[in-house]
Amino acid sequence: MTSILEWLQFVLAPQSINGLSIGVAVVLMALGLTIIFGLLDVINMAHGECYALGAYAVVVILGMGVSFWWAFLLTPLLMAAMGYAMERGLIQQVFHSKDRHTLTLLLTFGMATVMEDAIKIVFGANPRSVEAPISGATELFGLFFPNYRLFVMLLGGAIIVAVWLLVFRTSIGAIVRAAAHDKDMSASLGIPVSRVYSLTFAFGVALAGIAGVLLAPIYSVFPTMGRDFVLMAFSVVIIGGMGSIKGAVLAGLVLTQIQSLSSLLISPVWNDTLLFGIMVVVLMWRPQGLFGKLGHA
Amino acid sequence: MLDRFNSNSSKPNAVRILAIVFFATALLFALIGTVMGDSFYIRLATEALIFGGLALSVDLLLGHVGLLPLGQALFFGLGAYVSAVVLKEWAASFWLAIIVSMLFCAFAGLIGGLIAIRSKGVYFALISFGLAQVFSRVIYNTRELGASDGMTGVPVVTVVPGLQTDNPLGFFFVTWLVIGGLYLVLRYVMQTPMGRLFGAIRVNEHRVCFLGFGALRFKITAFVAAAVVAGLSGALYPMLRGFVSPELMFFQVSGNAVVNVIIGGSGTLIGALYGAGLLTVLKSILGSFTVHHHIVIGLLFVVVVIAFPRGIVGYLVPVLEARLSKKKTGDNS
Amino acid sequence: MIQTPLQDTVLSVKGLSVSFGALKAVHDLTFDAQRGQVTAIIGPNGAGKSTAFNLISGAITPKFGQVKFEGQIVTGFSPDKMLAVGLSRSFQITNLFFDLSVHENLRLAGQYLERGRGWWSPVQKSQTALARADELLSQFGLISKANDLAGHLSHGEQRRLEIAVALASKPSMILLDEPTQGMSHADTQETAELIRRLASEFGLSVLLVEHDVDLVMRVSDHVVVMAQGMKIADGSPQEVRANPDVQTAYFGDKH
Repeated sequence: MTSILEWLQFVLAPQSINGLSIGVAVVLMALGLTIIFGLLDVINMAHGECYALGAYAVVVILGMGVSFWWAFLLTPLLMAAMGYAMERGLIQQVFHSKDRHTLTLLLTFGMATVMEDAIKIVFGANPRSVEAPISGATELFGLFFPNYRLFVMLLGGAIIVAVWLLVFRTSIGAIVRAAAHDKDMSASLGIPVSRVYSLTFAFGVALAGIAGVLLAPIYSVFPTMGRDFVLMAFSVVIIGGMGSIKGAVLAGLVLTQIQSLSSLLISPVWNDTLLFGIMVVVLMWRPQGLFGKLGHA
Repeated sequence: MLDRFNSNSSKPNAVRILAIVFFATALLFALIGTVMGDSFYIRLATEALIFGGLALSVDLLLGHVGLLPLGQALFFGLGAYVSAVVLKEWAASFWLAIIVSMLFCAFAGLIGGLIAIRSKGVYFALISFGLAQVFSRVIYNTRELGASDGMTGVPVVTVVPGLQTDNPLGFFFVTWLVIGGLYLVLRYVMQTPMGRLFGAIRVNEHRVCFLGFGALRFKITAFVAAAVVAGLSGALYPMLRGFVSPELMFFQVSGNAVVNVIIGGSGTLIGALYGAGLLTVLKSILGSFTVHHHIVIGLLFVVVVIAFPRGIVGYLVPVLEARLSKKKTGDNS
Repeated sequence: MIQTPLQDTVLSVKGLSVSFGALKAVHDLTFDAQRGQVTAIIGPNGAGKSTAFNLISGAITPKFGQVKFEGQIVTGFSPDKMLAVGLSRSFQITNLFFDLSVHENLRLAGQYLERGRGWWSPVQKSQTALARADELLSQFGLISKANDLAGHLSHGEQRRLEIAVALASKPSMILLDEPTQGMSHADTQETAELIRRLASEFGLSVLLVEHDVDLVMRVSDHVVVMAQGMKIADGSPQEVRANPDVQTAYFGDKH
């Protein structure tokens, strides 16, 4: 009896809590993706690179001798500005064409390539490590948890709640949801739909950037980190349902739990395969995801 | 993106001319390389043709059926690995390696197709991407297949008596014939009822069912065909380079193939080959100036998607057409 | 209703019902369509005509009821199965291959006539499909537009092409979904002639759903009137026009 409890306490719980800290960041990324898709009907294939840029922003900021805390504030702003420019300058160019679904996929795919190469040029291909702003560990339930991980969970959780409140409880959120629901109607009500698009894209990209900042001290920072992570983010969005915030949160938390707990049973090499397998099964059984609606993508 | 189905216009002639130009130029390139005594450029041209074959398989899906595959390198790499294994472990026979690779990839394409083909748009792209990720990781971790180092020591084989794979010009010619043959076969298929239905699926998949044809069946056929084309091209790779590695399945290869197709001109088949050829040349030239040629090509790709979505061939064909019709009416008056 | 002695039911709809949530979109719809005749379903807005059409064509599966075609149950059949038994349909919102030429649209649709054969020979050799395309081009007055992209046609021409594509497979019955939707007066007259000829000249059975009551009265042999999801009248145009329930449904209790 005691050995099961011990297993729960010393093996399962730490894995689960680790998974939770990753999960929070995954949810933030997935939220960004799903919000962009929900409003603009655009799949941002460059989302992983936006996450990577967030992590590299931390590298830059720390390199300038500035404290990590500034990164939390500056990175989202920088990413938002970049996202706004990307939407205005690039995505809008193909937005109104007939083939727009394929073209936006290709365009964001191209943007991803360019961004990844740019990162390689500026920062080199070698991984960087970033020190966590909070060190030490706290004892909880007889175990020691790194303080930074606990912080990630708290801050990340707070941001998720804030996003939810923003989307569902503010007038800005109402405007965005209205524009997502019916663009022409919203435009005729005086809503600057084009600007709403750009701001929403910026917001989604900023969320990916924050995820990058949060996870930078946990994973090392390297140029292809975006691509490795984006399959996870897309799986979450697809399983949760494209455009569904509830889906992104639930699927993100559940899938990261599955990922961290499964590493107890199977070698981490097969992690991706497991998640991919789950995504394929969900797509075949319920193509709109758990909470999504058919008729997208 | 182009209507290629007008048998009354001079469009087929324009495409035919561009195809002839491509294959003639490739041959010329290799001959010049031989005269200059430098086998590096001949091998580069051969490699360009091999990756052109992969690009053809992407165009079959993207430009003709309307599906964006972000993991086609999976079949390319599978073809390469199967070819290498056959040559090393089974029999050093060119034809055996080719045929086994094609069969294997047909089978793999069927499985992959059954998984992926119910999805469209980004879902399909992600499943394709994911399949390649998963399998490249499997191979990366399989010691029997050389793990991360891949397999070296692929033997030289005889294609026909007197022609061996270590003969640069000779093997170039073999590749030239194979890829040329693939191109002609695909061109022909596009003129058959089945090929026309592929195009119809791209234009309006919904209506195709109402014409009495189940779109799913055709999409799977196209997926399998694309897998075989990619696999056949991949099978040539170890014969050229003497080794295979998991990198052949990595996203970089899949992504490059898509870039080749878009820049060359999707939906034209010959555009895929032009894309592969031109970008190989571009990379080679840029590579002598800077290590960072990738970003230049990435930027070029973005510009093409925004400003020239029909690609090089897509824009050349109407121009050539106009020139040809002018000639026709000029001759008549 | 007095049955005519030469009755030959080609389509039989019995007790068709479906609900969307609490709304009974179609309730207990029953009627027969005769071979070689034009049968029309009309009714004021919200009557459930479109839903009825989709139930019959297999796009929606009914909760209750069945559809029989040539004595065979075809309820909820997929589009390719419908075509196999000889039932074809057109679309209210034009659903053509806009990026392909008019000729290619018809040739593709006509390819069905050769199903199974000729998959491996070039389309230039599939004489049946090519001949059918040419036939339809002349029947529908689209010869001059043969090489134009379908998306470049005028609305009226597109609606005609829509019907032509549905006919290409030589079905024995065609279901027309608001064929004159958005057409000009002249185009509507032409289409009316066409629908009449489909039945009288080519012996096709036609089922159409329409808003244009005058058109329906002129071309139909048999009219079914729906209101609020139910059938309220069923008979020849004269019978239906004189039916007080129909007048109430359309015009209210003004008489």
